[in-house]
Amino acid sequence: MEEKDKELFSFADFDEYKSEHINAPRYSYWKSVWRTFISDKFTVAVAIILIIVVGFALIQPSFSGYDPMVAPNINNGAMKFLSPSKEHIFGTDNIGNSVFDAVWAGAKNSILVSFICTAINMVLGIVVGAIWGFSKKLDKYMIEVYNVVSNVPFLLLAIILSYVIGAGFKPLIFTMTVTDWVFVAYFIRTQVMIIRDREYNLASKCLGTSTWTMITKNILPYLISVIMTYVSREIPSLISYEVFLSYMGLGLGSSIASLGKIISQYTSFMNGYPHLFWIPVSVMAIISISLYIVGQKLADAADPRTHR
Amino acid sequence: MSETNKEVLLSVKNVDISFDKGGPKLFRAVKNANFDIYRGETFALVGESGSGKTTIGRAIMRINELSKGEITFKGKRISGKLSKEEDRDMIRSIQMIFQDPAASLNERATIEYCVSEGLYNFHLYKDEEDRIAKVDKALEDVGLLPEHKSRYPHEFSGGQRQRVGIARAMIMEPELIVADEPISALDVSIRAQVLNLMNKLKAEKGLTYLFIAHDLSVVRFISDRIAVIHLGRIVEIAETEELFKHPLHPYTISLLSAVPMPDPVIEKVKTHIVYDESKRDHSGEKPVLQEIRPGHFVFANDREMKEYEAKLQAAEKEEALNK
Repeated sequence: MEEKDKELFSFADFDEYKSEHINAPRYSYWKSVWRTFISDKFTVAVAIILIIVVGFALIQPSFSGYDPMVAPNINNGAMKFLSPSKEHIFGTDNIGNSVFDAVWAGAKNSILVSFICTAINMVLGIVVGAIWGFSKKLDKYMIEVYNVVSNVPFLLLAIILSYVIGAGFKPLIFTMTVTDWVFVAYFIRTQVMIIRDREYNLASKCLGTSTWTMITKNILPYLISVIMTYVSREIPSLISYEVFLSYMGLGLGSSIASLGKIISQYTSFMNGYPHLFWIPVSVMAIISISLYIVGQKLADAADPRTHR
Repeated sequence: MSETNKEVLLSVKNVDISFDKGGPKLFRAVKNANFDIYRGETFALVGESGSGKTTIGRAIMRINELSKGEITFKGKRISGKLSKEEDRDMIRSIQMIFQDPAASLNERATIEYCVSEGLYNFHLYKDEEDRIAKVDKALEDVGLLPEHKSRYPHEFSGGQRQRVGIARAMIMEPELIVADEPISALDVSIRAQVLNLMNKLKAEKGLTYLFIAHDLSVVRFISDRIAVIHLGRIVEIAETEELFKHPLHPYTISLLSAVPMPDPVIEKVKTHIVYDESKRDHSGEKPVLQEIRPGHFVFANDREMKEYEAKLQAAEKEEALNK
């Protein structure tokens, strides 16, 4: 019996550091974000649709060369109001232009405007908001700026600006960013104030970390998820803003195609040719809804509490 | 520690700290605090929740501003406005260990960044290699492995996280460490581990601790001198054994009576003494912190001093007899 035991057992070396070893696989934040994001098949499908639609909208107009001011078939009655067919996938409109080309050219500009405006708003808003959240001195002034800006109706501002600086791509971007970033900054400021006085920031302060390093290393990484959520709301809402302003005649002007203008132009044919109205509306809906779904899922995935 | 080579490292003089709570009156969190911390000792600050012990600790870290008095470090004033140079000096000389290791580490940063943060801020390294070597050394000092550098705080146990917090403070090579209840958020089974580590580092690096705690059994184990604080007022300061042997102030007596004993026989017969400020005899002039024996201070007026003196003498007589 004793002989057997000796064969089976041997003394193990005691290693103090063995217990400190972590066996779990290495954690990587962005890898986990990616894994959580692709774990939902529906979102992945929506993301693929989104990429195809947006990609198509950005590329197709360069091939079609669509220009709303050029209407070669305007006097050719046979080319007007054609139903969707092989040659004209979405049919033709009241001036004989291909609706397919018009919709994608419009979508391209609408998407570009909303992406550029979102980028400007977010960058400006995050930088100013982060400093605003830290500085009591700046807070006193910025809160007044916010109060003033938030009480000016956006439509009023858009109308006045369209009179002052005219219509076009750059003026529209200016209109949609000149006040909107203040709202982003206010949102970020509130978020910063929530986590500013947490103990780990106090610890950083005790180690002599500067405010700027604190913002970039301690605060913003915590805000990735809420910033993503904000972006996922901002892009679709700016697309609909663009559509709304162009519909009102305050947007990109008549020489540049846009979804809003196409929708407003085709609304008058709702009775006879309803597809003319519904096609651009559906394209806009597909883009903004899928942007929203993908953005929300990305925001969820960016929250480490969802990581497993 | 012999009496002769006591060097005062940190001195808190007549410090008042008030907070504006929005009402007409300021809230006085700390009332006229006075104490010295000598180089190489562990000075404990003990009191219940809300007594102002953390507030004092944070005032020393210059997070809370003083409303009266001053704090000096090696004879130089460190409260109030400091020049940039002095500020950097003080940050390096005085470091803090926080109560909750989960809350005090940046969860979105790797351990390497957490520990290097101070090095980055003061550029305390020659090159990348030197920085990595310093981080490895700091981790090794607290019993962690170099492979932990790329890990995130949430992957660690409470005790390991607190050791990361200690490594982060130690890498600055401070002279004084303010330990704000460093073990109260930890599991009982790993408290001794962290306390022993703190004692080991103290011996190796010649540190001085200000140990803030509410657990008297822990304080008795680690500290050389104890100050008892009640509602922002320091009521008694004495060397550890002296305080446990001859507690004078009724609040200290009450606090000591609350220490749980790991023996049911003692615990059953023990009577808890509840301290009630309003039921005390307040006759006589206003009490102040007075020295009743060398190194033993008690917050009392002349009438109370006489009572305490009589009590002390009786106790000392009894001890002499027992010997």
